[in-house]
Amino acid sequence: MPSLSESIKENSSALGTPSETSPEPSSQINPSMTSPAEVVGETKFYKPSTADMSHYYDNFLPFKSIFQWLNHSPAPQKDFTMREFAFEYKSGAYHRYNSFSSASEFKSTIIKAVPTRFEIGAVYPVQPKLRKTVSKAMMKPLMKEFVLDIDLTDYDDVRTCCSGTAICHKCWKFITLAIKIVDLALREDFGFSHMIWVFSGRRGVHCWVSDYRARILDEQKRRSIVEYLDVLSVKSKKNMNLRKPYHPHVERSFDILRDQFIDVIIREQDPWRLDDRCDDLARSVPDYKLTSALIRYWKENPNRSSADKWRDVDTMYNSLKVKTFDIQDWKREMIFKTMYPRLDVEVSRQMNHLLKSPFCIHPGTGNVCVPFDPSVKEFDPFQDAPNLKKVFEEDESDWEKTSLKPGIDLFNRFVADLMQDEIRAKRSRDSDDKENSLEF
Amino acid sequence: MFRKVKRRTDGRKNFEDESLQDDHHHNHVERSLGKSSNGFNDDLSIYPHRLSFYQMPPFEEITVEEFETWAIDRLKVLLEIESNMSRGKSFREMESVLKPLLAKLLPLNVPSRESSSLYLERKKDHYSHFILRLAFCRSEELRGRFIKAETMLFRLRFNMLSLKEQRDFVSSIDLPWETVTDSEKEMFHSKLLACSYSAIKGILVQTVEYQKTKRVTDAQVASFLEAEKFYKIPFEFVPELISTRQSFLHKGYAYVAQFQQLSLIATEFSKHLSEQLNITMRALPTLDEDDRLIPVLNNLSKGYVSIDYQQEFGSNGDGGEGLKAEMVPSTMKDMPLCMNSLMTNLMTDHHLKYTGRQQLSLFLKGIGLNAEESMRFWQFQFTSGPGSMNVEKFNKEYKYTFRHNYGLEGGRINYKPWDCRTILSKARPTKQDSHGCPYRDMHRDELSFKLTKMGLNDDNGGRGKIGDILALSEKGEYQAACTKVFEILNKDKMDYALKTGLNVDESSIVHPNQYYDRATYLEKNMKKKEEKA
Repeated sequence: MPSLSESIKENSSALGTPSETSPEPSSQINPSMTSPAEVVGETKFYKPSTADMSHYYDNFLPFKSIFQWLNHSPAPQKDFTMREFAFEYKSGAYHRYNSFSSASEFKSTIIKAVPTRFEIGAVYPVQPKLRKTVSKAMMKPLMKEFVLDIDLTDYDDVRTCCSGTAICHKCWKFITLAIKIVDLALREDFGFSHMIWVFSGRRGVHCWVSDYRARILDEQKRRSIVEYLDVLSVKSKKNMNLRKPYHPHVERSFDILRDQFIDVIIREQDPWRLDDRCDDLARSVPDYKLTSALIRYWKENPNRSSADKWRDVDTMYNSLKVKTFDIQDWKREMIFKTMYPRLDVEVSRQMNHLLKSPFCIHPGTGNVCVPFDPSVKEFDPFQDAPNLKKVFEEDESDWEKTSLKPGIDLFNRFVADLMQDEIRAKRSRDSDDKENSLEF
Repeated sequence: MFRKVKRRTDGRKNFEDESLQDDHHHNHVERSLGKSSNGFNDDLSIYPHRLSFYQMPPFEEITVEEFETWAIDRLKVLLEIESNMSRGKSFREMESVLKPLLAKLLPLNVPSRESSSLYLERKKDHYSHFILRLAFCRSEELRGRFIKAETMLFRLRFNMLSLKEQRDFVSSIDLPWETVTDSEKEMFHSKLLACSYSAIKGILVQTVEYQKTKRVTDAQVASFLEAEKFYKIPFEFVPELISTRQSFLHKGYAYVAQFQQLSLIATEFSKHLSEQLNITMRALPTLDEDDRLIPVLNNLSKGYVSIDYQQEFGSNGDGGEGLKAEMVPSTMKDMPLCMNSLMTNLMTDHHLKYTGRQQLSLFLKGIGLNAEESMRFWQFQFTSGPGSMNVEKFNKEYKYTFRHNYGLEGGRINYKPWDCRTILSKARPTKQDSHGCPYRDMHRDELSFKLTKMGLNDDNGGRGKIGDILALSEKGEYQAACTKVFEILNKDKMDYALKTGLNVDESSIVHPNQYYDRATYLEKNMKKKEEKA
């Protein structure tokens, strides 16, 4: 394995001490809970009223685009008519198993019901609203987009800038990295091409994979994809088991994360500065002697920055002549543990799981769940997510004159591409069927 | 789509075959009368490979007796697999247990023998599989168990094939794989190496060369990879390899090494079987008219059918029936939990209810307690101690049943000790009863208390914890739980026996006397060692 040992050497500069290449970070960063970005975010928040929602559904939400996206054809077919939709109301009521026979029924029902948001589920063998007329065994999902849900709340143990529902530019970098890694894997490894990323409205993103191949995956196969992506084994709480040599996906992800580690973790998040958190760092070292030495040292020398502590591990590893593990392995593991995408496994695996539709309004923030294309520009939730209030100020009824336009245009292009592919593929599937049936 | 069509036309061909062979029925009659054994179709072209995906249903007639015995033979194999899996045996361990069993019950010999026996072997394998489909298609749980065991059987058998047979079989399956060209392999060389590095190492560790050098070099791994053929296949076909990141993925294709193909076809096998079982289930109601088959199928799916334990009663120990009544309590440490707790209850209560008496007295007969000693034993147990009955009452009300068990009364039948199946088939014990299988009938707390008393603790030298036993019991794997207990309690003796090159039977326990005999056999072996020392 010459390539592996070489790559360790190449990487060691980035993994090593950050101080040589960067100014001492501890003086720049103040790990207090309020950062300027968050204040900006908060002033933007606007809780929409029922009248706002009604007006938005009536004038702005691109029902036709969503219909075509889910239907894969201009005329209604089973992909849409047997699709489950769920409504969530202001009262908190949640109404599942709605289904519609056409785009206009879809639109008129939502305008009449005015849910705070609506979610999209799977395609069933019967219309979900008629589910009571068939046996339970019939209500097994047939198809659904493969979806991914990445949420900043899952990063609370590494982010120090914000917690809970709050986000800022600093911690959004975790999401940007996650998008980069997951998007690459879905395209390069799994060969998917019809993917749309959507801002979830507050602190995360969704990804919808609409390729026919992805839609017909059963749960076992969905699970295999998520487990492939879930290098950290988030749900199972198993120890991350990174066999060496690394799998190409792990290797590629590492290359992406490595360059960001010093900036995002050591300098900006500075997660191990506080005394109660630095024990975590010490305990992550797989050598008892070194762990207790570090804990003692940091107790005697409090308030050292994460950069200092990261270096301390190196220094003491050498001075104690620890032989039980390879420090480069440990560093790599820490990079994965702190920055690798954290996925919600169940959302992706379960076919009957529902997910909020693109272009819904987040009920807590008033932000539009806009689609974006990470290959064109990294998404900035403070710049690129139109807020309902702002949209209404821009124009009363014409989406083309509002900040919704880039999102809707992007989505329409995505849907057009998908439909074109779909019609072509469907023709060949049908003709296959015809050929086969002629054999009889 | 293509595959489905092919199968359908196959089915039609079979139908035609059947109608063409108008004297099919005669064949069957003649055969069952033993007049001729060559009058039927023994064309091996129906079974071109030793292994099968079982895509074609059977179409020849067989007797009801064949129907039942073939199915039971296969069931024995599947149950043994199930028990091994639930005890967490490794693939290698399972292979060594299953090989002799398969040779006995479901042989599939190499095509060097004469073809008529090959045909019969493959036919039995084929038909028994389909009969069990009928028996196991009725509930989700049965289907799941059947698929799991059959898939493991498939994997075990695949590994028993020669490399050429494996290759022929694989290419006979209609899967969309493409060969990875040399230039493509060159292009992705480092990635393919990274994905299969540890798997290749695992293979090389088993080679003769490793036995000598005790190390695997990177150069060896690289040259193995060089020689290995790679295939690519849509990733959907190998979810197992994807989720564990054991396969290189590129543009929707998984790159699979030849040595990984088993995982792929095993997945395909279980998928196919699962689909077929669902179809069978829907077709089952039409069978209801046939009252010869339904009872057989019902019995089969009960799953309590287990491997017969062939004992030679009375020949146990040196000179056989040497067990004295007084000695019985000292043998308790070698008894399985069911008998052990019957003994405990007998000694505290000086009484046992009918079913418990039967279960214990026949067991004791099996371990070498003759009729005379048996009477002494039971009389002593029933009549001595505080609150016990007097001898007169014992003689009047109880003696008969014990003598009956030895064939000294009534129908004079020499009854056999009960196996686990019989014990499990009796009415479940009420509060006053002591019979039955503790792993099924005892409350969790009581069971774990009893296990602790038997000498199990929470570590057992890494061989398993009490919690594992309880889990097995709760899953309904009573025999597996019992076998595991045996293995934990007799670990040292088993290890020693293995070291001395003794044959150690690791199959699952299906009979209380088997448990006892195995324990005393190991014990004797240990004694020999002590004598030597």
